[in-house]
Amino acid sequence: MKVTLERAELVKALAHVHRVVERRNTIPILANVLIRATKNGLELKATDLDLEIVETIPAEVKQASATTVPAHMFYDIVRKLPEGAQVELQSGSDKSALQVRAGRSRFTLQALPETDFPDLAAGELPHKFKVVAADLKRLVDKTQFAISTEETRYYLNGIYLHAVDEKNARLRAVATDGHRLAQAELPLPKGASGMPGVIVPRKTVAEIQRLIEDAGEEVEIELSPAKIRFSLGSVVLTSKLIDGTFPDYGRVIPTGNDKTLIVDKSDFAAAVDRVSTVSSERGRAVKLSLTSGKLTLSVTNPDSGSATEELEVDYGSEALDIGFNSRYLLDITNQLEGDKARLKLADPGSPTLLEDSEKSGTLYVLMPMRV
Amino acid sequence: MPVRQLSEILINRIAAGEVVERPASAVKELVENALDAGARRIEVVLSGGGSRLIRITDDGAGMSPADLSLAVERHATSKLADENLESIATLGFRGEALPSIGAVARLTIVTRMKGADSAWEILVEGGKKHPVKPAALGEGTRVEVRDLFFATPARMKFMKTERAETQAAIEAVRRLALSRPDVAFTIVAEDRAPVTYAARTDDNEGRLARMADVLGGELRENAVAVQGEREGVGVTGLAGLPTFSKANSLSQYLFVNGRPVRDKVLIGAVRAAYADLLHGDRHPVVALFIRIDPREVDVNVHPAKTEVRFRDPGLIRGLLIRALKDALGEGSMRSSSTGADRLVAFARRHVGGARAGSTWRGSAAPAFAPGFAEETQQAFDALASPSTDARANVVPVAAELLDRPLGAARAQLHETYIVAQTRDGLILVDQHAAHERIVYEKLKAALDRDGIRRQILLVPAVVELDANDAANLVERADDLAKLGLVIEAFGGSAVLVREVPAMLGETDAASLIRDLADHLAEWDASLPLERRLLAVASSMSCHGSVRAGRRLKPEEMNALLREMEATENAGQCNHGRPTYVELKLEDIEKLFGRR
Ligand SMILES: Nc1ncnc2c1ncn2[C@@H]1O[C@H](COP(=O)(O)OP(=O)(O)OP(=O)(O)O)[C@@H](O)[C@H]1O
Ligand SMILES: [Mg+2]
Repeated sequence: MKVTLERAELVKALAHVHRVVERRNTIPILANVLIRATKNGLELKATDLDLEIVETIPAEVKQASATTVPAHMFYDIVRKLPEGAQVELQSGSDKSALQVRAGRSRFTLQALPETDFPDLAAGELPHKFKVVAADLKRLVDKTQFAISTEETRYYLNGIYLHAVDEKNARLRAVATDGHRLAQAELPLPKGASGMPGVIVPRKTVAEIQRLIEDAGEEVEIELSPAKIRFSLGSVVLTSKLIDGTFPDYGRVIPTGNDKTLIVDKSDFAAAVDRVSTVSSERGRAVKLSLTSGKLTLSVTNPDSGSATEELEVDYGSEALDIGFNSRYLLDITNQLEGDKARLKLADPGSPTLLEDSEKSGTLYVLMPMRV
Repeated sequence: MPVRQLSEILINRIAAGEVVERPASAVKELVENALDAGARRIEVVLSGGGSRLIRITDDGAGMSPADLSLAVERHATSKLADENLESIATLGFRGEALPSIGAVARLTIVTRMKGADSAWEILVEGGKKHPVKPAALGEGTRVEVRDLFFATPARMKFMKTERAETQAAIEAVRRLALSRPDVAFTIVAEDRAPVTYAARTDDNEGRLARMADVLGGELRENAVAVQGEREGVGVTGLAGLPTFSKANSLSQYLFVNGRPVRDKVLIGAVRAAYADLLHGDRHPVVALFIRIDPREVDVNVHPAKTEVRFRDPGLIRGLLIRALKDALGEGSMRSSSTGADRLVAFARRHVGGARAGSTWRGSAAPAFAPGFAEETQQAFDALASPSTDARANVVPVAAELLDRPLGAARAQLHETYIVAQTRDGLILVDQHAAHERIVYEKLKAALDRDGIRRQILLVPAVVELDANDAANLVERADDLAKLGLVIEAFGGSAVLVREVPAMLGETDAASLIRDLADHLAEWDASLPLERRLLAVASSMSCHGSVRAGRRLKPEEMNALLREMEATENAGQCNHGRPTYVELKLEDIEKLFGRR
């Protein structure tokens, strides 16, 4: 192989690709990035066996071929090369090493044969549709925080992406950890109708969040019941899906909560944050006491003290005391886009619904704490 | 009220209470009778948890009509031929089981002696004996117990759920099956598939095969053979590897001369043998068979005959510990023990755990005398603490502290151990273990005081369990709620988790519940939930806890000592290791052969 390319291109691509590579690996080649020079340019590929990323960048290919080198080290080297440098990659005929040259720097990296590099055979991906990148980003951003990290309920360790084929059909993303739930949706893109509901794993979600920053206008999504592929500009991310059944989340979204609280979002978040300063690690409960037009937030921590704060709010129903985990409350308020947070409450033991005041297509459900 | 002689029926009912506590004890007595009668095959049928029906059929010696009539009388037995209680070789000997069962149930016995051409039947109902009459049966005996405790309704109230009683009865048969691999057992209970343990040979191999039948093949892969002999007492069996431990001690099968027992000496020896290998809240799986001259052991301790008294408990304990340790591979390591080991072994006997606590608490700590050694210390403290510097951190003695139980801090060694001086000895403290304990006790107090906040679950979790376990857990729902876990019964064999302790964060309800169930199956187990909570709590306040490898100023060392004195259980860390060791001057003198 013999390739010359811009350092900037290579750094950007490696920055994307190397993140998929786990730091600790029992299979040596998984620590490597696959480099393939073709007439289309230079292709970089990394995998952790669940997730595969391929990025193609422009390069002047003098001799096509492929090899694999340690991803993190390669990235570190290229990163430290001077800005604006031209990088030359060259591997000899026995392909046991890759030479990296830029200016007066010269590195020789041990290579492993490209033929040993695992392939995440994606198979047939029959469902195919396009989503505006910003929309996909919202879908993911609004729900990501509620993904469960608890491994035994593996089917909650991702975002449930599915089509709601009703009269105004939507593409919906849902995540829950059993204490709270987040739901966001978009008008159903053309071609997505009839797609199976899939659970996109947390790591894949995190990668998409990062890659989407650099992506173009549109993201192409292809999927089968087992795999999903996102094409974001020059990057193609293919991932296994979580093989499990997402619970029937619709049951926990309350419909009859009749006590509505409307509060200025940033005032509310700031107040919750302030009073919870005194809360103990053992619970982080904040109590919301509602009376007509007034919300009192309070935290008592027998170890350190107590805090209360009053807010003027829009509330007309009967008085109510209800407790929440302050962190959960903040997580959700952070997601709200409008100026107002709208909470729909029932009683201190039932799910509370939080909505953006604007028509945003998102909703959040939060289970109270007993305080 | 005048004193009056109790009627026979009443006497029997009172006595029955001790012998037949629950269906499982009746099953145990009847199967033992069948084994004593030399049965080769025994069939046990249970219905309604044994309360409705227990039927035990054996192919043993059977009884003559005269014996049959006598057998249901009190204190009638064929098993003490020479009036000698010293050398009992049968499982039964008190002549109490049948009359006791007859006193509280409807007992029917049909029996046909070996070689006899007819069978006979007797019925005893609530202590009322009906005449013996002819019946039909092959050779052997069939005992039917119906409506157990119908005559003593008070006892009925103490019955657990049917499934729990069935479970316990089956467990009793399993224990006997383990002790007699040469006898075939069949267990038929309503709600489960019948189980048969085929007859095995009466040797070690047969015993192993039977153990695999009863305890599952898993044990054999995770256990080592135990073999030991001392002064005519022998032990054989299997010892589970520490990694195969359980959360309760139900999987400890102990036998003395083929009799299943729950004996403190034996249980204690097992615990001691595993002490260094297992965490305090785990229990090993063992099946141990002790062979001993019947004259060396008294089985007549309790009517249920599950307790024994050894003439020389020390011998038994020593034998068991040695045999288990040898089996578990400890023996070889032990032989290489050095002087340091002996010092530790010696000092261990003097760890303060037993003395820690109450005696010190309440004695106000004297105001700390400021000023000593602060200059040198503080000058270097600014330079942080390089952990590679293993120089001892030496402190001049603060005389007024010498009288404190844990004395005055003199030095910190290896940035881990505090050496303190007392009037008559020295104290070595593991600073991390000690502080961990203090933090733990504080958190415990805080949890007691503030209660535990509960996060309600969006979707209640359904956890499938053994019906038994589910019932046990639900019974304790109130206690669990105090610890922040709210559960409800869900069908017969599941529980529904509605709320969890908020401090556990996102927790796996199913594994928590299973762990709890494991523990609750045992009587005195402390709740693992509490432990988990405390574990989380103590790891949360970890940043506040002094770890090994941190240099302590003299004030800090002394403060730690004083706090230990004021803390309950300060002698042991949460894992049961000592937090400090005390060496009296005389101990030290002994170490150096001065005494
Ligand atoms: N299945 C049986 N086959 C033959 N004989 C039996 C059977 N069950 C009981 N017997 C006879 O009935 C007698 C009384 O039994 P019972 O269980 O009441 O007393 P035990 O076994 O002698 O002593 P213990 O009260 O300690 O069990 C026995 O001694 C035995 O002779
Ligand atoms: Mg008996």
